[in-house]
Amino acid sequence: MRALLACGCILFCTMLAVAEDGGTREDWPHYGGERGAWRYSALDQINRSNVGRLKAVWAFQTGKVDGGLNATPLVVSGVMYVSSSWNRVFAIDAETGKEIWHYFYPNPREIGIIYSPWTRGVAVGSGRVFFGTLDNHMVALDQKTGRELWRIDVEDMRQCGCNITGAPLLVKDKVIVGVTGGDSAHRGYLTAFDVQTGRRVWLFWTIPGPGEKGHETWESDSWKHGGGSTWLTGSYDAELNLVYWGVGNAAADFYGNSRKGNNLYTDSIIALDADTGKLKWYYQEVPHDVWDFDAAYECVLFDAPVNGVPRKLLLNVNKGGYAFVVDRTSGEFISAWPVADSINWITGVDAKGNLTGRNEPAVGKTSLICPSIGGGRQWNHGSYSPRTGWFYTTGIEWCEDVTVTPEEPKEGQNFFGGVFQLKPPLHGPPGGHLDAYDPVTGKKFWSYWSKYPLLASQLSTAGDLVFTGDPEGSFFALDARTGQKLWSFPTGSGHRGSSITYAVKGKQYIATPSGWGSALAGLLPQLWPETEDFPAGSTVFVFALPPEER
Amino acid sequence: MIAVALLLAQSASPAVIASGEKIFAQNCSVGYCHGVAGAAGRGPRLRGRSFSEDYLYNVTRDGIPSSAMPAWKGRLKADEIRAVVEYVASLASATESAPPANPMPPGVGPAAIPKFNGPPEAARGHAAFFDPTRDNCGVCHAVGGRGVAIGPELTARALKSPAELVSAVHAERSRHVLTAKLTYGQEFPALLAEQSGSQVRLYDLTSTPPVLRTLARSEVASLSENSSWRHEDFVGSYKPAELEDIAIYLRWAATGK
Repeated sequence: MRALLACGCILFCTMLAVAEDGGTREDWPHYGGERGAWRYSALDQINRSNVGRLKAVWAFQTGKVDGGLNATPLVVSGVMYVSSSWNRVFAIDAETGKEIWHYFYPNPREIGIIYSPWTRGVAVGSGRVFFGTLDNHMVALDQKTGRELWRIDVEDMRQCGCNITGAPLLVKDKVIVGVTGGDSAHRGYLTAFDVQTGRRVWLFWTIPGPGEKGHETWESDSWKHGGGSTWLTGSYDAELNLVYWGVGNAAADFYGNSRKGNNLYTDSIIALDADTGKLKWYYQEVPHDVWDFDAAYECVLFDAPVNGVPRKLLLNVNKGGYAFVVDRTSGEFISAWPVADSINWITGVDAKGNLTGRNEPAVGKTSLICPSIGGGRQWNHGSYSPRTGWFYTTGIEWCEDVTVTPEEPKEGQNFFGGVFQLKPPLHGPPGGHLDAYDPVTGKKFWSYWSKYPLLASQLSTAGDLVFTGDPEGSFFALDARTGQKLWSFPTGSGHRGSSITYAVKGKQYIATPSGWGSALAGLLPQLWPETEDFPAGSTVFVFALPPEER
Repeated sequence: MIAVALLLAQSASPAVIASGEKIFAQNCSVGYCHGVAGAAGRGPRLRGRSFSEDYLYNVTRDGIPSSAMPAWKGRLKADEIRAVVEYVASLASATESAPPANPMPPGVGPAAIPKFNGPPEAARGHAAFFDPTRDNCGVCHAVGGRGVAIGPELTARALKSPAELVSAVHAERSRHVLTAKLTYGQEFPALLAEQSGSQVRLYDLTSTPPVLRTLARSEVASLSENSSWRHEDFVGSYKPAELEDIAIYLRWAATGK
């Protein structure tokens, strides 16, 4: 037994030695792994040669399946923290699956807005667990006991038509959180709170007010309800002390005639000083969006040579199906490349980052637009492996009929300016794929095709594996270098969350949420009628190698 | 069941169904909800399904608690809800797939922001009170079912003259605000929210919005009268004329005059 433990330690210590900066180790401390959003772990005990023998070791039920399980679990010092629909928060022994505490937030019975009831995760630090709520509060719990320490009503949900479904980002003594509301008559913002007292430290409006630079990109009063939500989780570069956040679409989503102009900072990456919340730079991917093609997804921070010169870069895949790469010190455009084939809203992106051949849906008519509002990729996050130097992300092939109608804003109410219906892609059947790319050039190395859109995040590891799950409930591992499927496990309900890996006492575990649900899951029957009957769920499954395999 | 729904659908006049279709397209199809012609979205598919008309009416009027389905009473008139119900009932015999989206003529859309139905001075005060572009009164005070009820009820005070309200805002002291001292030395202006068993819940008024802090009774050294908190510091963005507008609004909210 002692020999076994010693052996385990040697292996474990070896695998720590090869840890690359930006990857996780024993813990999975932040939403994106580390705060560069790689979703990559330096753990390699589970690898290409032994993943075929991976076994389930425990499962945890959250008890409420409405909305599925969309979260990224966190693991800190052997304890897993996970949130499920309706703001149920759990602390679980990560080795045994035994609950340590739970906290159910008392949401009002009527939420009445469209961004609910799913939630995407918590932040852990300073002895606290932080999360945002479906009624737009921020809450801090005691990390050891789950006791509530503070909560704050960020803004009256009924007034802003917004709430919090994304995970907060912890930066020094602040917890930073964004809000939904991009499809409401709403003006977006990003807010930072003091971790100890809950006091608001700064607030950055994603739409500049009167007298501020960029305000001129909005027509008359349209800035007051122009969207620009911050509904997912940003990234942080400690060396530059910059917080990066992707900003959502302009509202109304499809009808733009009453908000002529570029509509800053919608569909932009914003870089803010972490201490003050002041804007350092921005890069707008889609000026004057009339397709609902948010830039709200993850900001992956990585370093790579561009034309032979090492650069600090940021990669953001937008809902229009394009990956944008910019210099994260300045916001300078580097490159853009597509993650889906079925794209007709633009013909491309030129060498300076300008959109070419904009295909704006006509007002009062029905237009075929590709991809659909669900995106050339969904929000679920890609993964960057420093071992291969590749970025792993999904793409979806589908279109939509959009019928654009003029719409006046109604405070806190939906503000779409049209309706849509899913349609098959321009060529071939609808479907999804997971691909490996050179993150700077977009060169594709392999593709894994799926009958249904893949709506779960990717996890890559130093074991040269990529994990993800599909809508039918299969959780699987691909060879990071070839895309070949090496292992799978049926979890019984579709995947919409984000898998992670961690280690306790020298043993590596893989954890995945399983639980079909969310807005997009509800839309799939328009193209795939059978998905209407796919079972909901809300379970965390955890896997490890059998003892003899370590 | 289907036969019943069909009968009901057939009994409704085509004009009512057509008006329900329009209301549905503008309110229920949008976004991630029920999709074009009930083809499904975040909300369930409604096409090709039969529901009792009573059920449809109740759910549409009252919403479904603990779900994303809102109550439409107050947003739609009773006859509009009835028309939507007739339209949804008419979808029971529809095939699985929806027909192509019908373009709606430009100009057809949901109504504009509801007009404030008080006098113009009250409308100005109402807008200022809930102005989302700044830290507004509604962050701490609820009036007419809007805002956050942290601070005291204001409509009773509004019965006085506007000048009195303005001077109350600028008063040296607020009788509601306490000073909380914690055993480990922290001190902050507070409103008592709740005391129960071993817990004390206080709103920390140091910054806006206020923070609701839950403390163990043993953490709180004392709660005493506060002599330094100034309401004035939190209404700095309001000009005197705006405060007078707000006083007029509050009086209107309290008395209808």
